[in-house]
Amino acid sequence: MGSRRLVLGGLSVIAFALSWELLLSTVVRWDPFFITKPSLIAQAVREQILGGHLWRDMAVSAQAFVVGFVMAILVGIPVGAVMGWRRRAEYALDPLMTALYASPLIALAPLLIITAGVGIAAKALLVFLLAVFPFIFNTFAGVRCTDPLLVSVVRSFGGTERDLYTKVILPGVVPYLVAASRLAIGRGLVGILVGEFYAASEGIGFAISRFGDTYRLPEMFTGILVLAVVAVALTSVVRRLEAVVAPWRAGQRDR
Amino acid sequence: MPLIEADDVAVTFQPANRAPVTALDGLDLRVNRGEFVSLVGPSGCGKSTFLNIVLGLLRPDVGEVRVEGRPITGPSGDRAMVFQEFGLLPWRTVEGNVELGLELRGVASADRQRRAHELIQLVGLTGFERHYPHELSGGMKQRVGLARALATNPQILLMDEPFAALDAQTRDLMQAELLQIWETSRQTVIFVTHSIEEAAYLSDRVVVLSARPGRHKAEIPVRLPRPRDYEMRLSPEFNELKAAIWNALKKELGAIS
Repeated sequence: MGSRRLVLGGLSVIAFALSWELLLSTVVRWDPFFITKPSLIAQAVREQILGGHLWRDMAVSAQAFVVGFVMAILVGIPVGAVMGWRRRAEYALDPLMTALYASPLIALAPLLIITAGVGIAAKALLVFLLAVFPFIFNTFAGVRCTDPLLVSVVRSFGGTERDLYTKVILPGVVPYLVAASRLAIGRGLVGILVGEFYAASEGIGFAISRFGDTYRLPEMFTGILVLAVVAVALTSVVRRLEAVVAPWRAGQRDR
Repeated sequence: MPLIEADDVAVTFQPANRAPVTALDGLDLRVNRGEFVSLVGPSGCGKSTFLNIVLGLLRPDVGEVRVEGRPITGPSGDRAMVFQEFGLLPWRTVEGNVELGLELRGVASADRQRRAHELIQLVGLTGFERHYPHELSGGMKQRVGLARALATNPQILLMDEPFAALDAQTRDLMQAELLQIWETSRQTVIFVTHSIEEAAYLSDRVVVLSARPGRHKAEIPVRLPRPRDYEMRLSPEFNELKAAIWNALKKELGAIS
């Protein structure tokens, strides 16, 4: 099952690249100034990996991403948990959080760069702003789905409020956090990119934007490709992680 | 002095946007130490509500329940409940679930493990220590529920329709095993059930509650010898007993349906 999935998934990627390549090499007359093709991108990827700034750019972007993402987890889970468990906190915070979640926070990028400067701080803040809401709202939903019977069980053995959080509420939220992470990864990557498009001197987003400005399309696509690979890798890591942190779900969701 | 004394207990629930519901009104009950008492009565007569009061999760609006003469103010280590829907933590293994009560009572890890191991053996789940609840059958889940309740060594065991979610055969088997375990430990048990047969088979005394609001309606002593076995359920005495419980209950059932 797993291998068939891999083969079919891989085939569609290869078919896509091949038809792109064939279209541009045989059917259409193309101008390398405006468009590029997979063989040239592959060459650029190789050069970038061997010599270019790719690793340095990735390290710079990753740093801001990780800082922002970790902050989103550290802030999002407690806020969501309190909103879910305390009715008053929900009433107080829900309108504000919903408004922020729904609005295109990416528009704040120029402001953040003015305030926090051209560096890791502004980018990390942007990642945080975009990634924190999936954590808040999924934790909130998970806490809301807490089984009242389990609460009674823990209380009946003399469990405290703290026991309820650690033994019932938070473990029940874990699957929701996995879903939150997937959303947050996508949003966080957008945050990094936009932050680096606006004002940066290094990073993957900066590389994409600079190569784009200078019409070096194969190199530009290298950055895009790297981001795609990173997004896929992070998502599958999260999926694996679920099996480790929530082994009780393994048999419940056979796929 | 009876171990448990309930005097004139009344509870009224106030659901949002609906008329208040009086679940219990003027319930009196005495339970002696080591006695196995079943509560039967129509749905909604407050049987489970009463168990929650004894457990310490709910305060009555009127009246009080005392254990050894002291009013119940909250949960305590001398009382534990077996829940109808098991109430197992899905993220804990059999072992982890059995240890829960001990853990919440602050028992040290090594002692917890030893005790959990004993109880798992007692309920016949040896070999399943590392299984998660979703890997167990209903009967096995309730064995875990029973082991968890017994692990804290409570003097009062409260059972809220513990076998209602099980199929008929598993239910018969669990009743027999419960009796076997109880014969050796002899806790005081309050057992809530809808099944007349179950009440008659397990108990020393069956208390019939009236339709909502529940109050003490009738009491049928069970004089079958112990230890009991399945064959007893086929005897004429057993049928007379069931008839007596049914007679007390049927008027109450008519009152609501």
